[in-house]
Amino acid sequence: MHRRWLRLTAIVAEREIRQRGRSRAFAVSTVVLLLVVAAGVAIPAILASHAKPQRVGVVGAPVAGMTEVVREAGHLTDTGVTVVPEPSVASAEAALRSGDLDVVLVNDTEVVVKQVSLSGSSGSGGSLPSAIAAVAGLTKLVGQLPPGATTSGVTLPVRGLTPPSASLSRRLTGLFTVVLVWILISAYGSQIAMGVGEEKSNRIVEVILASVRPLQLLVGKVTGIGVLALAQAALMVATFLGVGAAVGSSLVHGAAPGIVITGAVFLVLGYAFYCTAFAAAGSLVSRQSDVGTVILPVQIPLILAYALSYTVIYANGASTFYRVLGFLPPTAPVAMPVLYAAGDVPAWQAAVSAVLLAVGTVWMARTAATIYERSILRTGSRVRLRQVLGRAPVS
Amino acid sequence: MTVTPATAGPEVASREVSLELIGLTRRFGPVVALDGLTFSVPPGEVFGFLGPNGAGKTTTMRAIFGVVAVDGGEVRWRGQPVTEEARHRFGYMPEERGLYPGMQILDQLEYLGRLHDMTASAARAAARGWIGRLGLAGRESAKLEALSHGNQQRVQLAAALMHDPELLVLDEPFAGLDPGGVDDMTEILAERARAGVTVLFSSHQLDLVEHICEAVAIIHRGRVVAQGAVADLERGDRPRLVVRVAGAPAGEWARRLDPRIATVERVDAAGTALLALTPDADSQRVLDAARAAGAVEHFSFATRRLSEVFRDVTGEEA
Repeated sequence: MHRRWLRLTAIVAEREIRQRGRSRAFAVSTVVLLLVVAAGVAIPAILASHAKPQRVGVVGAPVAGMTEVVREAGHLTDTGVTVVPEPSVASAEAALRSGDLDVVLVNDTEVVVKQVSLSGSSGSGGSLPSAIAAVAGLTKLVGQLPPGATTSGVTLPVRGLTPPSASLSRRLTGLFTVVLVWILISAYGSQIAMGVGEEKSNRIVEVILASVRPLQLLVGKVTGIGVLALAQAALMVATFLGVGAAVGSSLVHGAAPGIVITGAVFLVLGYAFYCTAFAAAGSLVSRQSDVGTVILPVQIPLILAYALSYTVIYANGASTFYRVLGFLPPTAPVAMPVLYAAGDVPAWQAAVSAVLLAVGTVWMARTAATIYERSILRTGSRVRLRQVLGRAPVS
Repeated sequence: MTVTPATAGPEVASREVSLELIGLTRRFGPVVALDGLTFSVPPGEVFGFLGPNGAGKTTTMRAIFGVVAVDGGEVRWRGQPVTEEARHRFGYMPEERGLYPGMQILDQLEYLGRLHDMTASAARAAARGWIGRLGLAGRESAKLEALSHGNQQRVQLAAALMHDPELLVLDEPFAGLDPGGVDDMTEILAERARAGVTVLFSSHQLDLVEHICEAVAIIHRGRVVAQGAVADLERGDRPRLVVRVAGAPAGEWARRLDPRIATVERVDAAGTALLALTPDADSQRVLDAARAAGAVEHFSFATRRLSEVFRDVTGEEA
């Protein structure tokens, strides 16, 4: 039975891939998404290369020597610098906190910044502190130093005023992952629901179900559309990495293998979790125009997780509520990649969430298949969930 | 066309049988759609499946394909319960027609053929063949929605015929066809039957059914209320005579007939009597009685139209 079952399911999937893959809508949406990704990566990088001049405070003497060091570092990193002498370390730190200064060089001792980035160098603008540290360290090493100064290293230490957190670039890579997961699941989920609604409303489903079982049609459809979704995702990731590398975007520096793998795992699992739910929703309607109404409840968890993801990306540390969302199967596909990318959860927690999501996916597939099988041939008014999930189904 | 000898029990001994529906029951909530429905269809015959709206015709057809699960009873094909494999050799044209509106008709037919176990190349060849046969040559790459309604119907028929099915089930195949379309459909059904295919179709157009079918089953409220050869049904279980005798407007002579031979059903204003013969009665004895009453102007067996049979057994118009 299995080979035959799979063969017919594969024929259904193949039709989805062919029909959708060569449609104009697919080509247009692919091109538009790729352009958006390319623009999203390239434009900030291009703007960053004309970064605003950095204000660098210097503490100690001689001011002229330190100014020379800072200028050299600015030259090396292609960043405009303005040197501001500060009377003491305390006043320099106050200016750093208020945002009046971007970097402080304490002569021969250290470089102070507001917050040290975890991934170190992150983009053309962000590398100024390390350049200053390196140049100042080198200057110190070549002997223009008073005797007795420590010469423990070439580079001066870089100290942050607030504890380090995941770099902004990591967070932005997390944002890219979230947007990708969100767009692909909701766009392809809607397509699944529309496709099922179309088959039901124009009654071809009766012709098809005369030779394949409902589960085969369901599995074939979500697999075929899933292949297209993953192909589009792969193109988008390739564009992200390719364009990012070409323009030297700081976003790409954040694309650590762990984040990419987490994103891919949650994209695939998230699609698997949601695809059958969208199909079940589509099977409830009798007119294709009603599809929008029935898929909204399916999308709500995703919308919630997506909307709140911005609070994680631009804040220090995720709320407990959002951490909970990261473990609930309906919200995990969006929430967990963000939490992981932002460094708010360790890898093992992401793995636990993935296992929970996989279990949830099995449950969802079973429930959705039951709904689908019981409602796909029921015409007339919209089918209520209670009608198809009750103990004694009437269809 | 073989019937497995072991399963050809007494109930099917007289006639070769391919499709058997045995005691099908199905409830939809409070509605009883099928209530012990039983009938069988011989191969190589065009078999009509009749009944008022809501009698259970579509549910029966869906049950044959397993599209609707039955609560009780069984569908058998060539003496065996219907399997998935057997179903792939069935062709179905549902009442609510449906194909993909935006898909090219050649691709569409190829897809449906492959779902019936055809290879891609065989399905493509068959699709081209039927497209040509149904007068759609040159439209292979047209999308379904670009075709006229009548041509969409032809594609739908082609979808049912693609894989050269052994059983063809068509729900209201004549609905919405123009006279030319009706002729084409009739010819194709007859040709398939001659090729040994079992053809079962439903229709409300009883004149057409009378013309095309050798046998029918009439169902009402989920049960078979009449079945058999069309000629037998039209004759009825009691043969009837139409007799008019000059100068006997009230048909008094007829009322004097021995009720063991015939009874009067009605006498019209012109004095024409409709008599129901008892089984095995000799019609010539009625003729003798009529001649004794006067000059016999008319003497014939009455046949009922299928539509009358239908009305009698269902109490409704077709």
